[in-house]
This record gives sequence, C-alpha cells and structure tokens, in this order.
Amino acid sequence: MSTAPRWDADTAVDELYAAHYRQLVRLSVLLVHDMETAEEVVQDSFVAMHDRWRKLRDPDKGLAYLRQTVVNRSRSVLRHRGVQARHIPPVLPDVRGADEDVLVAERRKVVLDALRELPGRQREVLALRYYLDLSEADIAEVLGISRGAVKSHASRGVAALRHLLEDAS
Amino acid sequence: MNEFPDTPGRPGGDHDDERMRRLLDAAVSDVEPSEALGSIHARTKVSSMQRKRSWVLGAGAAVVATAATVAAVTVLSDSTAPGGGDAGPAAGTSPSPHVSKKATEKPSPGKEPSGKATAGTAVQTVPVYYVGDTSRGVRLYREFHRVDLVGGDPVSTALAEAVSTDPTDTDYRTDWPEGVTAAVVEAPPSDVITIDVQTSGKPLRERPGGMSLDEAEIAVEQLIYTAQAAKQSRDPVQFFLDGGRTDTLLGVPVSEPLAQGDPTDVLAQVWIIEPPEGAEVTAPFEVSGLAAAFEANVQWELMQGDRVVKRGFTMAEECCTMAPYSFKVKSVPPGEYTLVVHDSDPSGGEGFAPWQDTKRVTVLP
Repeated sequence: MSTAPRWDADTAVDELYAAHYRQLVRLSVLLVHDMETAEEVVQDSFVAMHDRWRKLRDPDKGLAYLRQTVVNRSRSVLRHRGVQARHIPPVLPDVRGADEDVLVAERRKVVLDALRELPGRQREVLALRYYLDLSEADIAEVLGISRGAVKSHASRGVAALRHLLEDAS
Repeated sequence: MNEFPDTPGRPGGDHDDERMRRLLDAAVSDVEPSEALGSIHARTKVSSMQRKRSWVLGAGAAVVATAATVAAVTVLSDSTAPGGGDAGPAAGTSPSPHVSKKATEKPSPGKEPSGKATAGTAVQTVPVYYVGDTSRGVRLYREFHRVDLVGGDPVSTALAEAVSTDPTDTDYRTDWPEGVTAAVVEAPPSDVITIDVQTSGKPLRERPGGMSLDEAEIAVEQLIYTAQAAKQSRDPVQFFLDGGRTDTLLGVPVSEPLAQGDPTDVLAQVWIIEPPEGAEVTAPFEVSGLAAAFEANVQWELMQGDRVVKRGFTMAEECCTMAPYSFKVKSVPPGEYTLVVHDSDPSGGEGFAPWQDTKRVTVLP
C-alpha cells in the first residue's frame, strides 16, 4: 500500500463516495432499519472523514474510518431513539411503489425485523461479517472488541437470527 | 478461508455463511440511496470556509477573489421611476413588523442600550446594511440597530450607523473610512433622497487605494439600501459630496439619482436575522431570516469548532428571491455555538460555495 494515491480531503470524499456510498448506506440500513436515518448517518460520516483527512491521508484508512463511524453513529442513533421507539412499526427502506414484488419486500422486511430484535453487537457483527464480508480481525478493529468477542457475537447472532426467521416463516 | 467456526450445534458452517450472506444482501438489495455528494460537498465546504474565515478575519480584504461581477449602479434617467418596476426583495424595503418588534424587545448585545436608549428621547430600531465577504465577493447583509434618532430622522440615523458604527456581527464591516459622515439633506426634488457625504478632508471623489472596484460599488449600494430601507421607500438616491454635487463617489459615477442595484448582485443571498450575533438564548429557540436559496432549500448547522452538534433544513417561503424562512432548534446542550445557515449548492460542488451567514450564540442552561 505504499503506492496509495495522495488524495486531498475533497478527492477522498469523491472517490470513496463513488466506490462505497451505496454500500455504506445499505450497511447502516441493516443497523438502524430506516433509509432516511441511514443516509443521514453516512453523510455525517463522510463529512467527519473530510474533517479528519489530514490524519488519515490514506484511502484504506479513510474507508476503515468511514465504516467505523457509520457503525458508531448508527449505534448512537438507536440509543437515542430509546426503548419506546423499539416497538414502533419499522419504516421500510424506500419502498418503490405498487409494482414492487410483494414477496421480495416481505422477505426483506422479515430479515430487517429479525435483525432489529438482536442485541446491538450481534447485529453489528453479522452486518460486518456477512454484508461487508470483513475478516474477523477487521471486525474486531471496527468495533474495538477482541477477536474472541467477535467470534462469540457472530455465533450467537447467527443462532438467534435463524431462530427468529424460523419463527417468522 | 472461513475464519469463523461453525455455528455451535449446527452442521454446515459454510453453507450457513452463504445463506446469511444471501439473506443480508437481499434485505438491502433494493436500497438505492439518492445522490448526496452535492450536500456532502456543501457541508465540507461550509466547515472549511469557516476555518478560512476565522484566519483572515480583520484582514479587511475580500476573502475569495471570484469572477463575480457586481452590477454597476443603475443610473436613472427618469428620477420618478425608481427600480424600473422590478420586483425587489422584501429586504430592500422595510423591516417587517414582526422582525422589528423582536429586535426591539431584544437589543443586540454589544451595544449599550442603557446609554443610547434614554427615556424621553426618540429611540427607534433602524435597518442598517453592512458589507460582508462571501464566496462571490463583497455583498450586503442587514442588521437592525436600536438607537437614538439623529435629529428625529430615521434615515440620517441609519446612514450614520452604516458609515461609522461597527456592525454587531464581527463578520461584517463598513468600508467607509473613519471620520466620514453621511446624512440626508433637504434638496429638491422631494421624491429623491439626497445624501450628503462629509469627507472631513479625505479625497473620496476617487476610489481610495486599497479599495477594490467591487468594494467601492458595494459601499455606495450600502448607503442606497440603508437609506431606502430606513425611509421605507424606493425613491432614488442623489449623492452630494461635502454639500455639493459630484460626478463620482469612491470612483463610482453618481451625478444622477441612483436606483438600488439588483438585489441578486448586491445582497448576500442568505441572512440570519434572529438571533443576532452574540445572543444568549435558551433551548428551544427560533431562528429566522431571509434567503434566496436554490430551490428554496435552507440548511443549517449548529457548530462547536468544526464539530456539527445539530443540523437541519427548512424551506424558505419562496425560491430565488429573498424570502423569509424560520426554524426551531429544539434540544441542545448549554454552551457556545456558531449557527451557520446556508443554501445548497445547485452545481453539486462544481460551482461557488454556498451563500451563508453565521452567528455566535450562547445557549443558556
């Protein structure tokens, strides 16, 4: 990675936006469950990365910072939403209209609902592992927890999710 | 490859992994976020612009040299038709009753209301225009000042404030040299506002060294806008220099009565009116102002240093002309903040930085 391009903060925003914006919003939807919040969280994260670029200076570090910030901010949004909001019917991501395949929408809703029932760490580990395909070490770094903790959150999360999905079907 | 052990008690970890991947992928596969690069740019620009601003504050020069052309002051051949019938902004006329009432209740900090607002003398809130640096060169912002009336005349009072009183917002300034005064004088015809600029010996017929052409034109517009707003009339303005006619003022041709320049070229296109600079407020508090924002979109941030503590957006009542906007800042912890209001960048980051106005506010517990 010694040949990493020397980007300035604006270029970093442009390049990482082009390559990862959609994926980061989807990651955040898995965590916070609604599209509008997810977009806000990711945009905030890009602005934060821009402000911090002097310290990051490297595309890989920029992306790692974005992932971490998206996960952290998604978590803090959920925390502020509080307990009472947990049982408010979820807002589905941007339903496109009447001609959408109802079955697909239904299945998506079931998975997102099930994720919502999981403890936060399990949800984060599952999203990073199965949606972003991050390695155990990378997940440990993003979340600031040990690899052992990643392992146990992952296995418990998979079991819990399977259980919830079986119940739902 | 698979670093994770199989789920305990379940066979086929790889298979499970694959299933989980497909499930999560499918759950968000049709999430298509809308284009956001433009608004991210707008926000990163705002924060870097603020940093820049604090560096050069006091330098007195235009922050950003741009190709912006400030429209030349329009010379009226027919002094009875000010403005050529163009629909100017609400800003060009008078403060709305709503706004001036608020300003009256809450005199701007930094002034000495007790000293100036002595009981028994005529005290009034007058509109005063000041110069501010924007991404498109120098433009005018407006403040309301609550002051004793000079000779009972709001127009002369407002002009005196404009040339010789420091604005409440330290981001603004006046480019008129120290010692200069400006006041309305009686001179025919009566439907022309005649402003006499007293130079106290300074050569103000020509543009002073160190003053740009844009700054000179905006300084002249500053007096036209201030006088018309204080008089609540669009009567054209005739300038005198030390009591007599002059062909130029700061190098700007002024031999004829002048209408105000096109507000799009003269005014900063986003103003915060309430709260004023340095205000102390308690949450929730209301922010109001005028903006000619692209698609009427008005965005705001409450900042501490470079950190955005809170943000939101609202719509101005109309697009593309100075129109009122307002929003409420609900819960925010006590502390000192910079309130930034700006429009969105229509070019998605390619063009000018957005219009913005900033106010320092203290949120009390």
